[in-house]
Amino acid sequence: MNETNQPPQLPPQIPSAKPAPPQLGDDPAEREPIPGALGAIEAILRQPRRVMFQLRHPGAGGLIAKMLAAAVFLALIYGAIVGSFSGGDQWWAAPVKVAGGLLVSALICLPSLYIFAGMSGSRAGLREIIGLVAGLLLMLTLLLVGFAPVAWLFSQSTESIMWMGFLHLVFCLIATAFALRFMNAGFAQLQARSNAGFNTWVLIFLLVLLQMTAALRPLLGTSPDFLPVEKKFFLSHWIDCMK
Amino acid sequence: MIMSALRNQSTSFTPLLRGEAELLHGWLRDSDSSRMLRDVAVIVVGAGLYGAAMGWWRAPEQALFVAIKFPLIILLTTLGNALLNAMLAPLLGLNITVRQSLHAVLMSFTIAAAILGAFAPLAAFMVWNAPPLTPGATHSAAYLFIKLVHVVVIAFAGIVGTGRLFQLLTNLARGNKSVARRVVFAWLAGNLLFGSQLSWVLRPFIGAPHLPVQFLRPDIAFQGNFYENVFNTICDLLFN
Repeated sequence: MNETNQPPQLPPQIPSAKPAPPQLGDDPAEREPIPGALGAIEAILRQPRRVMFQLRHPGAGGLIAKMLAAAVFLALIYGAIVGSFSGGDQWWAAPVKVAGGLLVSALICLPSLYIFAGMSGSRAGLREIIGLVAGLLLMLTLLLVGFAPVAWLFSQSTESIMWMGFLHLVFCLIATAFALRFMNAGFAQLQARSNAGFNTWVLIFLLVLLQMTAALRPLLGTSPDFLPVEKKFFLSHWIDCMK
Repeated sequence: MIMSALRNQSTSFTPLLRGEAELLHGWLRDSDSSRMLRDVAVIVVGAGLYGAAMGWWRAPEQALFVAIKFPLIILLTTLGNALLNAMLAPLLGLNITVRQSLHAVLMSFTIAAAILGAFAPLAAFMVWNAPPLTPGATHSAAYLFIKLVHVVVIAFAGIVGTGRLFQLLTNLARGNKSVARRVVFAWLAGNLLFGSQLSWVLRPFIGAPHLPVQFLRPDIAFQGNFYENVFNTICDLLFN
């Protein structure tokens, strides 16, 4: 008999091809609270997972308020740049319309996002969904402000409304694409079974956002009325602008 | 306080949206009256909001009327078919009580109404962006588009609600999908027959621009029926 007290040798572990994604909060830096609106801005750019983690924990209400306040402030800045093209009443009308339009778009689309998240099997509560939408707005407005100097330069050197409209639209779409990337990463953390609901919601959000360009016109030119009298679909408004 | 109430409401409501069959089975077994009341409240608010958005295009008064009529159709269909549904279930192999069958149907309508409620702001935004509903507008692209969107949203809500009902019934039938399928089809057929005629009686919803805003069309409310109208339309299309 050749008995030994040594345990049997285990075969070496073969590392799996795809390591499991880290859970929110695995990194101690993600657990640190986010101080102030400036902290929220920095966190959403550099540590979006920290924002997602904080949205799940006590104090999320404060963070959401900070993100919304920062988003409104940034939207007002970008709106002022939009208004600088025509000047006059647009100095105050354009910032109000840009900030108001973004907030209303988010508000209109919020209930459907909550429903789609629930239908996708997510366990996220309403507060977490509101937090993600606030994060989307903050990311979007941040990038818009990043584009603001370029937009301002063009608005001072061109007189073509069509060209400026196209430029703002491109900036808005780029900013929205990055903001939706943040949302997608956040949605992936909600334990949803599929992304179909989120993708449908993205389409709805984009349509609402684009329709706002017609519903709140003029954002660039001048008009005696604050809001348009004639209702138009955004595509027909754009076609009219190109004529 | 409002936030905590919202939180409680959302946490108790999300299992319904997610279709957690085990949990919903437990709810049906307990048959808690407060849950049924909550379901009724969701139907009144959700379907009411969507109805308001639908009727708003014609006139604010029409919005109020449709906000009342839409939930009414759902609740009356549920109640009107309660006895029939409760009898069909055991006949088709699913042994559940009247109260359980009523609650199961109510749950599926609750999901549909919640979806409708969530789409209500979008529908309102769409109507706000549409040109006014004038007599000539019924042939316009905007009118057809809005009608189509309403059909798509209501169909989507109905399909999701039915899907969740099927999951729940499969769980109640201990995984026997064929029994669940039979019961769902029978209940759907009954609800469709009753609900569509009820909608016919309670018309208008969007409201014809050349007719006055009314809660009911008293002179034609009980004239004809939904299926007769569909049949006549098909005959007109084929033979005229």
